Amino acid sequence: MTGATDLSVFSMVMCAVLLLVPLVAVWHFKLGITKNLVTSTLRMAIQLVLIGFFLEYLFRFNNWFLNLVWFLVMINAATFSVIKNSGLKIKQFALPVLLSFIIANFFVVLYFNYFIVHLKFILDAKYMIAIGGMILGNSLRSNVIGLGDFYKSLRKDEQLYFYKLGLGATKYEALLHFAKKSFVSALNPTIATMATMGIVSLPGMMTGQILGGSVPLVAIKYQIAIMIAILASTVLSITLSILFTVKYSFHKSGVLDKTIFASES
Amino acid sequence: MEVFKIDKITKQFSEQFVLKDFSFNIQSGDKVIVSGRSGIGKTTLFRLLLGFEKPDNGSIYFENSKLTDVSVWGLRKRVAYVSQDLNIGTGKVQSLFDETLLLKANLKYRLGATSEIKRLFDYFELQDGLLQKDIETLSGGEKQRIAIINALLLKRDIFFLDEVSSALDKPLRIKVLNSFLLNPDFTVLSISHDNYLPLGIEINNLKLE
Repeated sequence: MTGATDLSVFSMVMCAVLLLVPLVAVWHFKLGITKNLVTSTLRMAIQLVLIGFFLEYLFRFNNWFLNLVWFLVMINAATFSVIKNSGLKIKQFALPVLLSFIIANFFVVLYFNYFIVHLKFILDAKYMIAIGGMILGNSLRSNVIGLGDFYKSLRKDEQLYFYKLGLGATKYEALLHFAKKSFVSALNPTIATMATMGIVSLPGMMTGQILGGSVPLVAIKYQIAIMIAILASTVLSITLSILFTVKYSFHKSGVLDKTIFASES
Repeated sequence: MEVFKIDKITKQFSEQFVLKDFSFNIQSGDKVIVSGRSGIGKTTLFRLLLGFEKPDNGSIYFENSKLTDVSVWGLRKRVAYVSQDLNIGTGKVQSLFDETLLLKANLKYRLGATSEIKRLFDYFELQDGLLQKDIETLSGGEKQRIAIINALLLKRDIFFLDEVSSALDKPLRIKVLNSFLLNPDFTVLSISHDNYLPLGIEINNLKLE
């Protein structure tokens, strides 16, 4: 492998010049997000530099325990991001969502490393952290939609939920309608992405592999495998998240506990 | 037999009292028409009886035992509830009926449901073709009749009807009300602004004020 061409200091300066385009636009049209844009860019740069050094060592040591701990840290961050962005309270949801993410993502990543890539060392940093990160990042987006949508539509259409209970439905039977709907809205973006993949966009993983020196045909095989892995982990994590959280989100009488929403004090 | 006993319940939302020290008894076979201006707590009363709301004070008894968070699940399997809200689900009308009949509590009523649906469709003047239509494309009056049929399929004898005929014309309204009020076995609680009442039966008027 030859690897991608390194970017010189001059290149990074030119990159900063390109940043002037959005910056000037935001400032000129008074969009009021100049500060946000600057802090986000700075955060990205600092976080990535730190992670760059960190990964350098993580890959060098390639110690199973460190890899495992770092993957758990990533899952933890994803969990908090999902709960926060779905408008739910961390306190009630942290444990069940974390558990669902650990089960779903570990299962899919280990399956991927063992059965698809045939790694001898299935906790290998490059695969576990890089592939795991892709799977985690993508299922995170779907879970924000899925879990958030589930509880929001339950609150909005509570009358429909009551209607089902009033016809003799158990809690789970009455929730099925809502779970199905959130499932579909969570999976739709991934399904749409898959349908246009390769034509509209070359996915990040493929781009990376091609720049890294892989032939396109190898990159494509990985891309297909990773998309299916993302789909599997998404379905698993949403199912488990809903299943684990509904245990704690309702009163005994079957009525949704409104204090689960971050907007309710 | 006493079906419901409402014993001095009080319910208040923020500062507003909806029900205050309210008591009422309902015997088996009673036909209770609940009336009163909007916002007075008619729907809240239903919700309290079905366990969707809890009284701040007082108790509700169902067949002589106190209604609790646990016992309310048994009650919900004994009654049929037709809500005022016309959001009764999505998908085909037929699959709404299937969904209701596939609930664990209702499996035993599946047998003969097809002919029962046909009979009720005829009675309530609905076309058979409606079964294959999407619920969301139906008119308000059609949805109301579908919700009523959905409730009648369950062979319950206690009915909670929340403004179930508001979108129907007079002859149909009479048909709908008759099918509940004229059955001596049915215990009916009906929220209604209708002034039609069938002759020859005793009606309990419950006016909230």
